[in-house]
Amino acid sequence: MMQERYQMMLDMIQARLLEKQRGMDFFIDAMFRNVLRAFDPEIPTVYVSGYAFPMELLWAFDVTPFDFEIACNNLPEVMSGNGSGFMLESEKRGYSRNICSFDRLIIGCLNKGILPKGDLFLTSSYYCHGKAKTNEIVAAHYGMESVLLDVPNEINPDAITYVAAQLRNIAAKLEAVTGTKLDPARLKESIGRSNQARASLLTIYDWMKRRPCPWNGVEACLLGLGGALFWGSTIRMEIHRLLLAQISERVKKGKIIPEDYRILWFPWVPVQNTNIFNILTKNRANVVMAEASFVFWPELDENRPFESLAMKALMDPHVGKVERRIQNLVKSIDDYRIDGVIHFGTTSCYHENAAFPMIRDAIKKKGVPLLNLSGDMSDERNYSASETDIRISAFLEFLAG
Amino acid sequence: MNQQLTIAPKRVGWFCSYVPEEIILAAGCRPVRLEGRVERFQEIDSYLNANLCFTIRNIFESGLTNQYDDLNAVIFANSCDGMRRLYELWSHYIQTPTAYFLEIPKNRDENSAAFFSSSLLNLKRQMEEDFAISITAERLVQAGIQMNERRGKMLELFGRQKLSPPPCKGSELYNLAIQESRLPKRDIDRKIQFALEKTYPVQSAGKAAPRLLVSGNEGASFTLFQLIEKSGADVVLFDTCRGMNHYTGMVSMEKDPIQSIARRYLFKPTCARMPGNAERMERLTALIDEYAIDGVVYSGVQFCDYSLFESALIEPFLKERSLPVLFVENDYIWSNKEQIRTRIEAFVEMIQNKRRTA
Ligand code: SF4
Ligand code: SF4
Repeated sequence: MMQERYQMMLDMIQARLLEKQRGMDFFIDAMFRNVLRAFDPEIPTVYVSGYAFPMELLWAFDVTPFDFEIACNNLPEVMSGNGSGFMLESEKRGYSRNICSFDRLIIGCLNKGILPKGDLFLTSSYYCHGKAKTNEIVAAHYGMESVLLDVPNEINPDAITYVAAQLRNIAAKLEAVTGTKLDPARLKESIGRSNQARASLLTIYDWMKRRPCPWNGVEACLLGLGGALFWGSTIRMEIHRLLLAQISERVKKGKIIPEDYRILWFPWVPVQNTNIFNILTKNRANVVMAEASFVFWPELDENRPFESLAMKALMDPHVGKVERRIQNLVKSIDDYRIDGVIHFGTTSCYHENAAFPMIRDAIKKKGVPLLNLSGDMSDERNYSASETDIRISAFLEFLAG
Repeated sequence: MNQQLTIAPKRVGWFCSYVPEEIILAAGCRPVRLEGRVERFQEIDSYLNANLCFTIRNIFESGLTNQYDDLNAVIFANSCDGMRRLYELWSHYIQTPTAYFLEIPKNRDENSAAFFSSSLLNLKRQMEEDFAISITAERLVQAGIQMNERRGKMLELFGRQKLSPPPCKGSELYNLAIQESRLPKRDIDRKIQFALEKTYPVQSAGKAAPRLLVSGNEGASFTLFQLIEKSGADVVLFDTCRGMNHYTGMVSMEKDPIQSIARRYLFKPTCARMPGNAERMERLTALIDEYAIDGVVYSGVQFCDYSLFESALIEPFLKERSLPVLFVENDYIWSNKEQIRTRIEAFVEMIQNKRRTA
């Protein structure tokens, strides 16, 4: 059933791509094709959360990385606001509604029997422990072991050594499922591609500092999360190339959406269909940057691949201290000349909700208006369109002075 | 700092069962297991969401309202997403007593043991500086020996519970465990010895009440034990991180003391923070057999992700083995006590009926 859904969506996106090669369409096409490839028994399928794993390691092997979170959340039912049907499948098996909808959704999909069989189940301890728990449940269902990349909270030489050693161990597991030895040259290439893509993304972000903003922060956020799967692949480089071409064409032709307010968004945009972005667009409030799309890591060192990938994992703002998130957010308020900040909280995202008061206070201190929207990434039962409408309208009125 | 505290032995709060008390003892301090100390929330809602784990809410509110002024320092650990943030909230909004942060790996292998040793070394260094004391290898070995002895005695008490009927009421044993984690170690050693030497009245085997095992996380509290006992069942065993799980495994002292301590804590039976659902189910099954358990009560604090996941796994696992299981959630102060009482009474009655018809 997952295959049919993705095949249908792939056909639609490919029709669009035939019209014109757009960066985001290319990304979505790659994502859909990747989900379908995960069902191919000829290529080992590796479960992973791309946004919480240094993917460059996987692209050095012939495997299909399957982002089980993103794949389940992009099902048409979820995006159209009917994801709770799957979630009920986990709830009736005792998984409480106080567990994040991402996790309930995956367990629901598992119980519906729509997930591909995996050959290796990788997960990490960031952002949240829910994903590690879910990954273990899915792996156990297939009688497999779940491998956890444990990333400590603090960055120090011992932590780097610790994470790098785990990545070496994971490389050995990848060698076992593919039956091929890790080729250091391939890993080097993967890291090189990641660095090139990182550089081009920074160029795109420079464009986004312009007023009006020539790209959309919501798309940047979606790419930041779903597209993380492709760090280290040629796909990620191509997405950026197309995006850059589109942006410069838009600027050249003066085809940029006018904007009255520039919004910074954090932490994630909802997957389910909401009225939020329609209201913002109608009011010429443009999301120009999103936290999930920040480039938080320095260029990777091709000659010390495991250590630099360990560092990338450790530097993820959702691993360590909130202070790092605060610094990044406050800096981007200046860099992107932000008029207002919107926080979209997911009911059961415990680590995010506990971090929020410190971030809220820092933004307040910065003197920028902040709207705290509570909702849910994908469970429509925890989202109220009318309440959201009222709150955003009030916020926009406030911005208008 | 409070004048009295400079004279009395320094008290260091800790919360998670993965925090080695040995380090605190070797620093010449008294370990005190941290508990939420408020009965009513007043300030917390302006800081934290209502749906954050109630242990965290309670500890944070206790800190905000200066309930921990008798402590000199607190050790927070990377136990879960919430605890990790609690350390930061503490450092940001409360500051005193001084907070330390201890990394605890989630995997159990040599790489993780080495990393845990380095985290413990960091903690040791910080405490040496703050408490102006050298935490020598001898002091650590001494602390390890002391803790091992106490663990051994507590395990002996838990082991005796295999008898039918169990010699000790679960609530008494729980009380002893609570005191063990709070009182000066001298005093608690006497209490444990007393419990070991006490002769319990032998009841006739025919009258034995349903034998329950309490599993789950930290929030399994005295209230729960009383509710179970009042409804006519015995809490024969509690394998929570305040119970047998906490005391299982000794510091071997074969390696350098820090490494030995790290290994003891990392390789002891796990709680739900760690991967290893299958291994935990195996342990549970073994305990159910050894202690001739009639039913399991799984207790969790509201909004604790770990217990939400684990309870969903335990329920079908035990039901498949025809063992009754009940999941109860509390808000740390058990304001839902009456509702839980009704559920426990029905649960015990169901077990009694099952035994009658067996
Ligand atoms: S929304 Fe929060 S709890 Fe849910 S998967 Fe994402 S990080 Fe984890
Ligand atoms: S349940 Fe586990 S993580 Fe939580 S306090 Fe107990 S030992 Fe620590």
